[in-house]
Amino acid sequence: MTAVPRAVSLSDNPEVIVRQLFGKSQIPNPKLQIPIATVCVLGLGVWILGFGIFLHAQEGRGSLGTIGALGQEVKRPPARNEPAPRLPDGTVSLDGLWVGGGPVGDIAQGLPKGEKLPLKPEAVKLLEYRAQHETDDPHLWCMPMGVPRSTPYPFRFVQDITGSAASPHLFIIHEGNIHSYRQIFMDGRKHPAELDPTWFGHSIGRWENKDTLVIDTVGFNDKFWFDRKGTPHSEQLHTIERWTRPTMGTLVNTVTIEDPMYFTKPFTASFTARLQAPGDEIMEYICQENNQYGTAGGHDNPFFGK
Amino acid sequence: MRTKHGVLFAIFGLVVGSGAAFAHHSFSTEYDGSKTFNIKGTVSKVEWTNPHARFYVDTTDESGKTVTWNMELASPSALARNGWTSRTLKVGDQVTVTGYAAKVAPYRGDARSVITADGRSLFGGASDDGRPEGGQPQ
Repeated sequence: MTAVPRAVSLSDNPEVIVRQLFGKSQIPNPKLQIPIATVCVLGLGVWILGFGIFLHAQEGRGSLGTIGALGQEVKRPPARNEPAPRLPDGTVSLDGLWVGGGPVGDIAQGLPKGEKLPLKPEAVKLLEYRAQHETDDPHLWCMPMGVPRSTPYPFRFVQDITGSAASPHLFIIHEGNIHSYRQIFMDGRKHPAELDPTWFGHSIGRWENKDTLVIDTVGFNDKFWFDRKGTPHSEQLHTIERWTRPTMGTLVNTVTIEDPMYFTKPFTASFTARLQAPGDEIMEYICQENNQYGTAGGHDNPFFGK
Repeated sequence: MRTKHGVLFAIFGLVVGSGAAFAHHSFSTEYDGSKTFNIKGTVSKVEWTNPHARFYVDTTDESGKTVTWNMELASPSALARNGWTSRTLKVGDQVTVTGYAAKVAPYRGDARSVITADGRSLFGGASDDGRPEGGQPQ
């Protein structure tokens, strides 16, 4: 294998192109800062992107890695648009390894176009505080992400493969941050009248028309953030997730969020998860093992020794 | 220059258009996207650990003093999905590492490109959104 950059054809797969382009890109030169006017031009999006790729393809060098470097190319399978699989009783199977399905940077990105979060002033104030304290995000310190936040790591639904929709439990196993699970009771029980607050709450689930898994959850603690931005919630949080699988390769989570402490009314956001490559499996992810977050940036752990 | 602008346009468009890719940690709170490094040295330790794999490189600083750099990579699972194993980098490997330096702590880096003396080229894919060229392996 050679370390010398070599000319290659950019892939037809956009997600492969991303890695090829990034891997070959230059370390930014301060003299090449993009002026604001230029940034506006960037809004033209697709045309500029295509132009940039074309230009970059003409450039045969790079300083942050070479084309073909191990780990450089994102290998993602093509979209699977065939119908979703079904269990013997006709219920849609949610089996598969998925990534996505919840907010990461900003939960408002899942709102219908033109809508805004119905934030109460208390929420606005807390968001402003968290914007100045972004390293307080519990997620950064290996705490669970709660609901409905997602991570860049896969998760898997574990359904009853006998096909009984009345099976007592359904689990969602999460690989990443942190290696965790959600337990959803499918036997028709109700939420207990009083609950001790937890990161993932108390979840009860049911199927609608064998197509939609509805998960109703209460009993949350108020510690996790909905997103990196710090969109808050309280222990009054109530989430209703509606999971569907419109195609083999796509899972959609449409989640309604109620929390009278921070929102003037319930709101609904929608997020898509993508099926991972065949053969991929959940891997171990013990976040607390060697978390050195904070050191490089000079940040103290807000959850330790205070 | 025009070509470089084209590249930057494309990168910006990809980052915005893709909704950003992500990992466990925020690049911008830890590393300085304008502070790059390029060092040569010897791998003295490899940590195949979460949330991020790391390797340590013994090298000499400008004054000739031996120093050890702590290099951050992506998570083991993200690296494994892209072809790495815990044996990809070994203690004793001679490497050239390019990446972004820590904002505060000395001799810490977000490793992007690792070239070994035997000619292997490795992409570290460390940290996550906000890094100048974006993108996180999964």
